[in-house]
Amino acid sequence: MIGTALPTLPRSLRASRPAARRGVRRDHVRLLVVDRSAGRILHTRFDRLPELLGPGDLLVVNTSRVLPAAVAAVRASGDPVQLRPCVRRGREWDALAVQVAPPHANVPLEPGETLHVGEAALRVRGRRPDIPLLWRLELDSPADLELILRHGEPIRYSYVPEPVPLAAYQPVYASHPGSAESPSAGLPFSWELLRSVRERGADLADLVLHTGLSSYQDDDFDLEHHLYEEFFDLGEAAAAAVNRAGRVIAVGTTVVRALETAAGEDGRVRPASGWTRLQIGPASRLRVVDALLTGMHEPEASHFDLLRAFLPEPLLDRAYREAIAADYLWHEFGDAALIL
Amino acid sequence: MVGMNELQDRVALVTGASRGLGRAIAIAFAREGARLALCARDWSRLEATAEVCRELGADVLTVRADVASATDRERLVTLALDHFGRVDVLVNNASTLGPTPLPLLADTDPEAFEEVVRVNLTAPFLLARDLVGGMLLRGSGLIVNVSSDAAVNGYPGWGAYSAAKAGVDGLTRVWAAELAGFGVTVVSVDPGDMDTEMHRAALPDDDPALLARPEDVAEAFVRLARGVDAPPRVEARDLLGVAG
Repeated sequence: MIGTALPTLPRSLRASRPAARRGVRRDHVRLLVVDRSAGRILHTRFDRLPELLGPGDLLVVNTSRVLPAAVAAVRASGDPVQLRPCVRRGREWDALAVQVAPPHANVPLEPGETLHVGEAALRVRGRRPDIPLLWRLELDSPADLELILRHGEPIRYSYVPEPVPLAAYQPVYASHPGSAESPSAGLPFSWELLRSVRERGADLADLVLHTGLSSYQDDDFDLEHHLYEEFFDLGEAAAAAVNRAGRVIAVGTTVVRALETAAGEDGRVRPASGWTRLQIGPASRLRVVDALLTGMHEPEASHFDLLRAFLPEPLLDRAYREAIAADYLWHEFGDAALIL
Repeated sequence: MVGMNELQDRVALVTGASRGLGRAIAIAFAREGARLALCARDWSRLEATAEVCRELGADVLTVRADVASATDRERLVTLALDHFGRVDVLVNNASTLGPTPLPLLADTDPEAFEEVVRVNLTAPFLLARDLVGGMLLRGSGLIVNVSSDAAVNGYPGWGAYSAAKAGVDGLTRVWAAELAGFGVTVVSVDPGDMDTEMHRAALPDDDPALLARPEDVAEAFVRLARGVDAPPRVEARDLLGVAG
């Protein structure tokens, strides 16, 4: 509904390179602030974020580290194929299989077929019943992470034409390997800025949620927002900090997903670790998260659907149009938005 | 009282652990109960170090890696963080002299100079940069850069090495200043002259009997890991003189 009513994002506003490669400090990207109580939209710069924070505020970040999850494999026929594992359970992967070259269209594998990644063999067990574009693969080696690191490169979408080093996809605090794509809301933070946040009296807590894929490389399928499980871990210290906080500001939709999964009816979170399939949308009642710092994502993306849990449709519509009119840059290397 | 297992469950990443000081540090840390991520280029000798550490009861991850390579460093950091969940202590020990016999600066190939800087200076910066994030979030951590008296003295023939080690000391001072108050300590340690393969390659005529044993010098690193206070640049012998 809203996706068709809103203007299409102009191609020129798709950030094709990390901020530093555009000659912009990572914490100098633009910040669009949506003040829900006042119904106002403000424009500022990311490094002025501390001015909007104070004692009692808690920023919760996702410390998941991105893997080079576009993995080069060879089919039984000898044809190359790219695997994008998004759910990893030891020797079992659920992965997208796509063509090596853009536009990376899906490749139908054969159940029972053996693929090779380097020296390792992966047996195709079949399609995943609930999400048929994902293939269930079984590895003959326990060193699945080593395989990804040796044979993978960062997943890159069409709006990023040149290869970008993996380091550019990592927030400064990334320290728990496991994401298929960047938890990019954290990319604009520098340590200098995080220090300023603390000097303002606000606090910082961290959790882990390993992100999956933002696209199945199939436009129609993507619009249906098929959601699979993602691994998360909320430790005791972070849970206590969240329960103490006056205002909980999630850095990224991944943090919203993890915190709301760990939240009870009483509005308090408990330490938790495991897989979440929580889907958050317009009808969701947020129990814990009060505000959201996020990247700019297109209306078709499931991220955008989550924003509807924070913003009434007219204000979301206004914010989107205003961001486009003001030439904000979109996607993981783009500008940022804060919903207060 | 200083007892055994003072580093119980601390996770230490030691580069250049296949021989010399790196091997000695790994074994000393293992004896104290630390969990270890070890890397080196020489796989069989790295595994030999790891075996000694495992016999001492340590959980050891070995990664064959050249610290000068970005992809190897990424593998090293990712595998260590995945295996242990964190790194508490980083020891930037891997080091190269460059070509031996050591050439005068005027005879030093540009490529050889750059390689020494990549291994001895750039890699310690990048590994620290990769691991300091987790340390800052936890509010604790230790980064030890192995320096040399060549960092402060102009020995003929030691040009590239000397420049890189002076750089390491500079790096350490700035890290230490920037991280003061955040629970992360950064120290450069000059281990002094030791009886190692590297020393023999550089100064083959030195009498080994007059040189320190890496096993003894490694104790200085254990004391740092236990939390002994030290300025940003310290000599191992001064640390060994401290009751730890």
